[in-house]
Amino acid sequence: MIQVDQFAKQYGRVQAVKGISFTAYPAEVLALLGPNGAGKSTTIKAITGLLRPSSGHIRLANFDVIKQATEAKMNLGYVPDRPYLYQKLTGRELLRFLCQLRHVKDAESKAQHWLEFFGLVDFGNELIETYSHGMRQKLTFIAAMIHEPAVLVIDEPMVGLDPRAAIQVRELMKDYALKGNTVLLTTHSMEVAEAVADRVVVLHKGQIAAKGEMQDLKQRADENLEGIFLRLTQELEVVA
Amino acid sequence: MILFAMRLRGLLNDLKKRPGRYLFGWFFLALVFWGILAATRYGVGFIDRYPAVGSIADAVMQRSLEGLFSMLTLGVAFSVLTTAITTLYSSHDLPFLLSLPVPPERVFYLKVAETYINAALLPAIFTIPVLLGLGLERSAPWLYYPLALFSLLALYAIPVALGSFIALFLMRIAPAGRVKEISTALSVVLAAALIFGLRALRPEQLAAMSPEAFEALLQRFAEFRIGWLPTSWTSGAVWGALEGKVTPAIFILAGLSLVLLFLVARLAAFAYRDGWIRGLDSGAPKLDSRAKGPSFWERPFYLLGRGGSIMVKDNRLLLRDPSQWSQLLVLTALAGVYLVSLSSVEVDLQRFKDAVGTMNLMFLGFLMSGIGIRMAYPAVSLEGEGFWLLKTSALKPKQIVMTKFWHSLPLMLILGLGLGTSAAFLIDLSPTLAIASPLAGISSAFVISGLGVGLGAAFPRFDATNPSEIPMSAGGLLYMTLSLIYAALLTTVFAWPAWRTLRNPTEVLWLQSEGVLFLLGILLLTLLGTFLPLIFGSYSLSKYEPGD
Repeated sequence: MIQVDQFAKQYGRVQAVKGISFTAYPAEVLALLGPNGAGKSTTIKAITGLLRPSSGHIRLANFDVIKQATEAKMNLGYVPDRPYLYQKLTGRELLRFLCQLRHVKDAESKAQHWLEFFGLVDFGNELIETYSHGMRQKLTFIAAMIHEPAVLVIDEPMVGLDPRAAIQVRELMKDYALKGNTVLLTTHSMEVAEAVADRVVVLHKGQIAAKGEMQDLKQRADENLEGIFLRLTQELEVVA
Repeated sequence: MILFAMRLRGLLNDLKKRPGRYLFGWFFLALVFWGILAATRYGVGFIDRYPAVGSIADAVMQRSLEGLFSMLTLGVAFSVLTTAITTLYSSHDLPFLLSLPVPPERVFYLKVAETYINAALLPAIFTIPVLLGLGLERSAPWLYYPLALFSLLALYAIPVALGSFIALFLMRIAPAGRVKEISTALSVVLAAALIFGLRALRPEQLAAMSPEAFEALLQRFAEFRIGWLPTSWTSGAVWGALEGKVTPAIFILAGLSLVLLFLVARLAAFAYRDGWIRGLDSGAPKLDSRAKGPSFWERPFYLLGRGGSIMVKDNRLLLRDPSQWSQLLVLTALAGVYLVSLSSVEVDLQRFKDAVGTMNLMFLGFLMSGIGIRMAYPAVSLEGEGFWLLKTSALKPKQIVMTKFWHSLPLMLILGLGLGTSAAFLIDLSPTLAIASPLAGISSAFVISGLGVGLGAAFPRFDATNPSEIPMSAGGLLYMTLSLIYAALLTTVFAWPAWRTLRNPTEVLWLQSEGVLFLLGILLLTLLGTFLPLIFGSYSLSKYEPGD
């Protein structure tokens, strides 16, 4: 479970996120949507412990990400939008390293399973610097999921993936949530959000513009997610 | 000009965002600048007043200036190879700039200018106070200052252009994926040759010379001249300017440097496509689907838990990344020069040997701090853009910092203990100092590692493209200042056993109660010097946020 309570983040005089609250429950996929500069990445980085909140609290699997950082991060898997990995390690070496940091048992066979799943077995002993962007993205997914965390946070999941891998990842996210885990993703693709998410939170200019179950939102507005998204963000522009 | 303005705007925006950090850096830079200026003024005054120099003072100073120019020009030459490859081929902004409706040559004018600034800025900053000190001490006319600065900048443009030519050549002929390795190895060989070459001059011979022989040597030194070297033209131009004259040398220098820079930018624009592809390509992968397990050497590290896993990863990166392993070669060269220098100390009296041994503690500290800036200070920043993997893992910043410390320590300890013990044997010290020397080495190893890793964690540079860039910051300057202060402090503290030894060379202080108390004091100093920076580094790293 992810609990975001009155989270705000200020960079100097700029208020990037203005006291937002939402919860992502076990066994669901929550999509965090919003236009560029809405505060999605800041929120994601705070949830993963990369940024410290200026105010408010964030809890992962019931652990505070600042006060109980180690416990919270033991339950976290994270896929950033830009998959920077150690270039001079091989794929297998990277996975072994991350498994050791997280005390994963049977790491070698788990690595083999995931490399096979993403079609990377032949490249497992190659240096990561030789990988394409899509291959790095796949390896980052493996790195995030190999320890079977209770919370999976994914920033722009489809960037760089080929169509086959994109379908695999969609199914993977849904299946992972069905096992009782929490999946939070940000995406610019309304199609992906509609296909995968159970609930959505729409951010705009650092505030929550809307949140709710996908079906409810659609029924209330009588239109698709893209239309809802455009209307909400446009309304807020007019109010501002 | 638009491209240059864009770069300048970026720098100003960064300055506005982090003014404190810049002010801190500028303060230390000003301190170094002032130190060099004061030392130059003192040196020029000393030579002018030294009786044996007399009428050849000008020639001696001009040759010394040429020597300084030669040394720094070689320094620029060996650092420019990797800088040129990084700037001309691997810059992140190159694809964007080349996609703009701007002729490629203009983009490469900017890139050559960037190479020039990255490779020659520091040597220039260290040379400017020398020229300023010379001008002030000799009451030079106002024309001297712009002309001397211009000559200096033109001089450093020559190795930058030549180094860039070699880099471009290497990108064309080196095997794909091995360009960076080859250029780094070449740079290191040049650096090691420079260090050994300077040491081959054996300056300690001067101490044994009679005043007559020294005067004759100065005369020969003043007459020795290689007129066709650009360094001679530069010193000629500087000397002419000192007397208010504009010499032809300055036009030759300016012409040559501008032509070379222009040619290298044109050539880079012409040749970048092929070289760029070679720079990116790491060769055809040899696909191997076998599930390879951990190597035998990794297993003992795993007994150390998560820290051991980070050490295994760091060892692999060290051995596979040429910009990291090349630091080990430079380190070996430095240690070699230190030992050769010690073995050439020729004194007979035991008291002189002990005095030399005491002064050597300071040199040992200086050497260790020089090694630490390459081996300990970059340890945390070398995580690079992959730092998010550690930050989002279940690791506390303290664990990361301490692991880096324990990983840096063994090498520093081997060096500190090895060099301290070798010094005791090579100088043939009295028993008390023979034990003090390795003790100082051990203390230096701990404190320098702690200071390096701690301050490196407090001032991380995860965006550096090369380990040698990492210490070029306010944190690096703070590390150098504090480590040199520590070396001086250690020497001052060890002056007490040295004084006891000078009074009674056969006494073994460490067997007495006051000796034991002294050792406890050293232990306390070492613990404080080691762990305070590590605590500071852990605290700062816990507050670190991407974009800081």
